[in-house]
Amino acid sequence: MENSLFSKPRDLFLDVVNAKDYVQIDSVSHMYQSLKNSVQKPLKMILLFGKPGTGKSMLLHKLHHDLSKHQKVLMFDIPIVDEDDFLRVLAQRIFGHSPREVMTLTRFLEIAEAVSYPEVPIVLLDEAQLYSSSLMEKIRLISDARAIKFVITLHKTDKEDVIAKEHFQTRIWESIELQNATAEELKVYIQKKLLKANCFDVANMFNDKNMKLITALTKGNYRETNKLLFSLFTLYCWYEENHSALIKYNALKSKWIEMAAIHTGLIRA
Amino acid sequence: MLDIHKLERRWFKYKVKSYAPYIIGLFVFFLVLIVITPKMKDSDKTEQIVSSENQKSSDAKMANKESSNILEPSMEFLQSFQTSTPLTVTPAAIIPKSVQSPRESIPVPKVLNVPDSSTLKIPASSPSLSSDKTISLNRNDSKLDIDSIERRFKETSNSNLGLFIARYHYDHGNYSDAYNFALKTNSINNKIDESWIIFSKSLVKLGRVEQAKKTLQLYISESNSDAARSLLESIEQGTFK
Repeated sequence: MENSLFSKPRDLFLDVVNAKDYVQIDSVSHMYQSLKNSVQKPLKMILLFGKPGTGKSMLLHKLHHDLSKHQKVLMFDIPIVDEDDFLRVLAQRIFGHSPREVMTLTRFLEIAEAVSYPEVPIVLLDEAQLYSSSLMEKIRLISDARAIKFVITLHKTDKEDVIAKEHFQTRIWESIELQNATAEELKVYIQKKLLKANCFDVANMFNDKNMKLITALTKGNYRETNKLLFSLFTLYCWYEENHSALIKYNALKSKWIEMAAIHTGLIRA
Repeated sequence: MLDIHKLERRWFKYKVKSYAPYIIGLFVFFLVLIVITPKMKDSDKTEQIVSSENQKSSDAKMANKESSNILEPSMEFLQSFQTSTPLTVTPAAIIPKSVQSPRESIPVPKVLNVPDSSTLKIPASSPSLSSDKTISLNRNDSKLDIDSIERRFKETSNSNLGLFIARYHYDHGNYSDAYNFALKTNSINNKIDESWIIFSKSLVKLGRVEQAKKTLQLYISESNSDAARSLLESIEQGTFK
């Protein structure tokens, strides 16, 4: 089964956020360039927001991967919700200072002032909606003091929009919204990902009809697409081993796409 | 590991569910179609029968007309009929005074032997008798139908019915009956061209040409009817057959 034509494509779509897996799509590339330009500007806070699965985390990882070569960048992909821990980790990893005493905001700002970098260090906060209001207020004060530049990501839901307004209305200097992919974008995403791994035959199996169905099922959500394709290629592996005659190599079977969608919960059956 | 067979079963259920509204819609559509089509065929059949029967003869048309007239019977004439004995009295006695002028000088016609419709014996073998369910439009050709119309005429004294019966008898060569019913019709309504013409034609057929001419002349002088004039000319020229 591991030698199957579909086992490699299946593994490609494991839902893991890795900067190396970043696939360049026109719209996302444009967003990424905007983000990079914003980071270069003397802005205090940059907000990256969008619905779940629109690629915010991936973009943040990609930014971290690219920026860390030239400047001090710290990535918090798992939020540290305790304020003391948060400030302590920041002080240690950005400024190389590990105070034994309780870390207050004043103490942190003193440490930050003592250490000078040619460029303001950047901290990337994923899933910022999980931080408390009090901690967000401290983050705002740190960015106001120009000790650290923050790039934060938020889910775009009604509640989180309110959070964004309350905390960052006057603080956010730039905000970038990520959208769900269209059928064409999703096709480019899938095919680029497959071609990158030299899965040419499988990449050619995706026709427009297949993509319409996949987009309709996943609503252009990259995470859901990854999950769906992982299940789909698992199905293909099974059929290749048990009923290889059923496989058509010029197109994906709509039935199997739907079966994969049932398995991943995209279709309730 | 995926349980493919279970997944296939779930997929099948999903497809059935997703197509169910369309299948139900189609089923309902065909059901409606099945219910409606025979009804439409029935109504078409009825229409066809009606149209074919209407075209069969002008008699049938007249009959339909008469049947509609039944709804508004002339009670006045019923009274005049009930008080008179039409088969034995002279027409002069029947004709109301107001309509006397064209008729006063017309030779007094005698009512010929018209068998009373009520006393008519209807042959048992008559196909129309065999079933009461025979549709009304088929009755026009049967003896029973003309009898029933005569009965209705007797009951209602409707001039249209009288004209229809006179025309029927004339067409069937029963000139004495045609004469009698035309006479009765004239006594009810003396302004029906066709009734006077049938009356005159019947007279000619019965060999009473002079009486027919005289009747027509008087009617023409009264009504200035072109049809009557034309008939008179044809009788005088001997071209009437």
